[in-house]
Amino acid sequence: MRDLFIIIKKELTELLRDKKTIINSIVLPTLLIPILIFGSIKVTQMISDNEQQKTIKIGLVNAPQDFKDLVAKDTLNIITTYTDVQDFKDLISKDSVQTALVFPIDWATKMDSLSSSEVQIFRNGSKESVNRRVSKMIETYSANIKEQRISQLNFPMEKLIPFHEDYVEVGEQKELIGKRIGGFIPYLFILTMWGGCLLAGIDLVTGEKERKTIETTLSLPISKFTVLLGKAIVASILGFVPAVLNLFGLIMGLKFIPGIPDSFKLVINEMLNFQSISLILLLLIPFSLFLSGLIISLVASATSFKEAQSKATPIIMLIIIPLVLAMMPGIELSWTTVLIPVLNIGLGVKEIMAGTIDMMQYVTILISLIAFAMGAIYFSYKKFSDENAILK
Amino acid sequence: MIHIENLTKSFTTTTKKGFKKKTTTVNAVDNISFDCKPGRIFSLLGPNGAGKTTTLRMIAGIINPTSGTVIVDQANLSEGNDEIKKRIGFLTGSTGLYERLNPDETIDFFGKIYHIPEAELNERKEYLFEKLGINDFRKKRVGQMSTGMKQKVSIARTLIHDPEVLIFDEPTSGLDVITADSIIDLIRESKENNKTVIFSSHIMSEVDLLCDDLAIINKGAIIYNDTFDNFKDEMKAENLTQEFINRVKEA
Repeated sequence: MRDLFIIIKKELTELLRDKKTIINSIVLPTLLIPILIFGSIKVTQMISDNEQQKTIKIGLVNAPQDFKDLVAKDTLNIITTYTDVQDFKDLISKDSVQTALVFPIDWATKMDSLSSSEVQIFRNGSKESVNRRVSKMIETYSANIKEQRISQLNFPMEKLIPFHEDYVEVGEQKELIGKRIGGFIPYLFILTMWGGCLLAGIDLVTGEKERKTIETTLSLPISKFTVLLGKAIVASILGFVPAVLNLFGLIMGLKFIPGIPDSFKLVINEMLNFQSISLILLLLIPFSLFLSGLIISLVASATSFKEAQSKATPIIMLIIIPLVLAMMPGIELSWTTVLIPVLNIGLGVKEIMAGTIDMMQYVTILISLIAFAMGAIYFSYKKFSDENAILK
Repeated sequence: MIHIENLTKSFTTTTKKGFKKKTTTVNAVDNISFDCKPGRIFSLLGPNGAGKTTTLRMIAGIINPTSGTVIVDQANLSEGNDEIKKRIGFLTGSTGLYERLNPDETIDFFGKIYHIPEAELNERKEYLFEKLGINDFRKKRVGQMSTGMKQKVSIARTLIHDPEVLIFDEPTSGLDVITADSIIDLIRESKENNKTVIFSSHIMSEVDLLCDDLAIINKGAIIYNDTFDNFKDEMKAENLTQEFINRVKEA
C-alpha cells in the first residue's frame, strides 16, 4: 500500500507540472460551463434583440385597408403596394421585398357575404424570422375577421368553445426540470472526465515510453500491478477532478451569471443539493477508474502520443451514443439499463436530479460500475504486462 | 553474484496480411549461461541486436525469461521476485530519469521505493550529491539539465540504495568523454567495494580499461566466455577491436 502511495504521489507531481494537464484538467473544466451558460444567454438575447429590430419589406397586392392598417401598426414593416401581381420570386430573390401577400380582387365581396377566400403568400422558407412575423400578422387578421363575423351573426362566443382545459400539475418542478435537463449534465462532465483520463493515461504510459523512462519504472522493486494501479488511479483522479470542477462551475455559473430566471435558479439549486451531488460523485469514482483502465489498455502498445490518441479517440463514440440515448425521452432507468455502462450513469443522474432515483437501482449501478472498473484494470494490467507491447 | 543458466528469451510478433495473421517467434537470447562474481567486472560484448540489452533486462527483472534461471545475490529472479530488485542498481546510457522532477525529488522517490530509512536516505543523498557535484543543480528539473548533469543524477539514483549488484547497459553511449569518465570511475569504485558488476558495451577501449571477465554474445548465443586475460592471450588479431570483429564473423 505504501508503495502504491509513493507511485501515486510521484505520478501526480509529474502530471501537475505539465501545463497541458493544468489547462485541460483544472482551468478549462472550471470555466467551461459558466462560459457556456454566459455565452448562450448572451447569444439568445442578441438574436432576439436583432430579430425585434429588423425591418421587413412587405409587398401587398389588392390588400384591404384594415389589413394595411394592421401591417402599418408595426413601424418596422416597410410596405410596398402593387396594383397588380408581379414576378415576386424575382423580387424576393433581389431582396426588393422579403415577402408578398396577394389578395383577390373580389376580397371585399367575399368578406361581406361571409364566404371564404384565398390569400396568396410569396415567401422564402429559409427566412424564418420574416415568415414567423408575417404568419403572426395573418393569424391576428384572420382572428379579427372571425370575431367580427361571429358578432355579426349574433352567435354567442361560448357556444364555439365546448370546454376549457384546466391542467393541474402534480409533478414537482424539480422532477420536471430534472428529467428534462438531467440528461444533459452527465453529457458535459463525462466528456470532461474522458478528456482528463485520456490525457493522463497517455502521458503516464505512452509518455513514459517517449521519455524513455519506462525501463526505469519497470526496474523498481515493486510489482507491475502496483505500478499499473498507481497509474490508473492517477489517471482516474485527473478525470474525476475535472468532472467535479465542471459541476462546481455549473453551480457557480447558475449562481452568479445574470439573466437566468429566479424560478429556474431555485429549482436547480434544489436539485444540486448535497445529497444529490454526493450520489452523483460516488458513481463517478468507479466510472473514472473504468475509463482509465480502458484507456491504458488501449494505449499500452502505442509508441507515440499521436498513435495513442488515434487508438483511444474512436472509443469516444461508445461514450457519446449512450449519453445521447440517455437524453432521449422514453428511455428510462430500468433493471436492464442499470447494467449498461455510461447509459446507466446518464439515466441515473437524470433520476437523481429529479429526486426520483430508486435506491436499489442506484446501488446496482454502483456495483456494476465497480465490476466494470475492476475488469478494465485487470485488462489494462494484462496489456501493461505484455513485454512485446510495453517495451516496444 | 549473478548466476545465469540456460537462459532463453523469445519474442512473438504477429503480422497481418489482409485477413491472414502470421505469428513469428524469435529467440532474442538463446540458452545462455555465465557467472559474474563479486569484486570483478564482467563485460558483455556484442554487436547491435545481439541480445545484450535483453539479457541485462532479464537480470534486472524488467522482463521475465521464457526459460532458464537468473540467480542474483542468491535469489531466483525467474520466479518473479520483486524484492530482489532492491539489491540491484540498473543504469543505462539514456539515463531514464523523470523529466519533471528535480534531483532532490528523484532521489527521494527512489529512496522511498527502496524503503531506505529517512535519516539514512538523507545522509546517503547528501554524500552522493557532494561526491558527484549535484548540489549546484539539485532543485533544477531534470528536463532542463544537460546530458552530463542528467548522467550524474542517474548515477546517484543507481547507487542510492547501495546495491550489491550493478548492471550497466551501454552506460557511456552518446556521452562526452568527461561524463563517460565519471561512469568508468563509478564502475571501478564498485569493483573496489566488492560489488558484482556487469556491463554491456561494444567499445573495446572501455572493455580494456575495466574488464576482468568477458562474454561475447552474437545472435542471442554466447560465442566466448572466459577471463579477459585469457582472451588477450588467445588473441590472433593485432588489436582488441579486430579480434572482436573476427570472432563475431567466425561465429
